[in-house]
Amino acid sequence: MTTAIEQIGRSGLHVVRSFRDTLAFAFRILARMFDVPAYNSAVRMVLINQIYFTSVQILPLFLSVAVISGAIVIGIIGQYLTHLGLFEYFGQLLMGFVVTEFAPFITVLLIALRSSSAVNAEIAVMKVNKELNTLNVFRIDEINYLFLPRILSGILSVVLLSWLFSIVVLTSGLVFSALLFNMSINDYVTVLLTSAKFSDIIVMLIKCATMGFFIVMIPIRYGMRATDELTSIPVSVLQGMVNVFIAIMIIEVVSLIVMSLIEKFI
Amino acid sequence: MRLYSSEELLDRELGDVMAQEKRHLGLVSLDAPLISNLSVLSNIALVKQYHGRLSVREAEDIAVMRLNKLHLEDIAKKRNPVLLEEQRFCVMVLRAVMVEDPVVVIDRPFKIMPDLDDTRFIREVLTSVDDLFQECHIFDYLWNEERYTGGMIHDA
Repeated sequence: MTTAIEQIGRSGLHVVRSFRDTLAFAFRILARMFDVPAYNSAVRMVLINQIYFTSVQILPLFLSVAVISGAIVIGIIGQYLTHLGLFEYFGQLLMGFVVTEFAPFITVLLIALRSSSAVNAEIAVMKVNKELNTLNVFRIDEINYLFLPRILSGILSVVLLSWLFSIVVLTSGLVFSALLFNMSINDYVTVLLTSAKFSDIIVMLIKCATMGFFIVMIPIRYGMRATDELTSIPVSVLQGMVNVFIAIMIIEVVSLIVMSLIEKFI
Repeated sequence: MRLYSSEELLDRELGDVMAQEKRHLGLVSLDAPLISNLSVLSNIALVKQYHGRLSVREAEDIAVMRLNKLHLEDIAKKRNPVLLEEQRFCVMVLRAVMVEDPVVVIDRPFKIMPDLDDTRFIREVLTSVDDLFQECHIFDYLWNEERYTGGMIHDA
C-alpha cells in the first residue's frame, strides 16, 4: 500500500517537475525572443528556411484539406440547421466554430504532424551527432541559432495558416450556401460580418500563437533529452509528440474557458 | 604537438586548453563535427555570420576564398555525410580559422583521418592557411608519435 502511494507521489512529482521545467524553458525562450541583437544574418537565414519548410511546403496538402474538410463541415452544419429550423444561426456557427475552433485545430494538427515531429527528430539527431557541442565550442548560442527561428516560424505558421484555412472554408461556405441553401453573396457576407466578434478574433489569434509556440518548443525540449545513443531518437520523438498532443488539448480547454469568461463578463 | 600516454590525460589537457582559449578557439575534432544540415560553405561561413555579424553573402564570399586556398571550391555545396575524410578535415580547419584571431586546436587528427600514414597532408593543409591563424596545437596519443616524424609546423 505504502509503495503504491509512494509510486503515485513520485509520478505526480515527476509530472509537476516536468511541467515546471517546460514553463521555465518557455519563459527563457520568450525572454530571448525580444532580444533584437540576437537576430543576426545566420539566425535570419534559419528563420526564412524554417518558414519555408513549415508554411510554404505544406501548402498543397493544407489547401486540399481546407477545401475538403471545409466543404464537409459547412454542408453538415447547414443541413442540420435547416433541418432544425435554425438557419439564422448559420453565420454565428461559421464564425464561432469554424473560424475560432475548427481552423486553428486542424492547422495545428497538420503542422504538429509534419513539422513538430521533424523538429523533434532534427534536434535529437543533432544531439546524438554532437552537433550541439559544435555550436557550444564555436560560442553559437543554441537558443538564438536553433530554437528561436524554429519557434517563431511555428507561431507565424499557425497564425497565418489558420487565417488561410478560415478564408478557404468561408469561401467554400459561400459556394455551398449559394448552391444548397440559395443564399446570395450579400446575405452570406452580412451574416458573417454581423456574427464576427472582435474578442473571438483576438482570442483566436492568441490561441494560435500559443499553440504555435508550444508545438515547436516541446519537441525541441524533448529532442534535447536524447542521449548519445541512436536508440534515444525515436524515444524522444515519441515522448515529444505525446506531449505536443497534451499541450494542444490543454490550450484548447484554456481558450474555451477564457472565451466563456469573456462572454460572461463583457 | 602534444602527445599523451592515456586518453584521460589527453582529454584533461585538451579541456584545459579549450577553457583557456574559449574566445579564440578554433577546434578541429570529431567531437565538434560539421553541422549536417548545412552545406560546406554555410558551415564555414556560420562563425563569421554569427560573431562577425556579416551578411550571408559577405560571409560566404570569405568562405569561398578560403575554400579556394585549398582548391576545394567544388565541394562548397556538399554536406558533411558525403565528404571524404580529408575533405572533412580541410573544412573543419577552414571553419576553425574563421574564428577571430584563431588558436587552432586539432584533436587527434588520425581519428578524423584514420587512413593517413603520416602528417604530410596535415602539414600541407596547415601551411596553406598559416596566414590565417596565430597558434596551432595538435593533441594526440603517444603511440602515434611515429606518424609525426618529420617535424611539426607549430609547437604548442
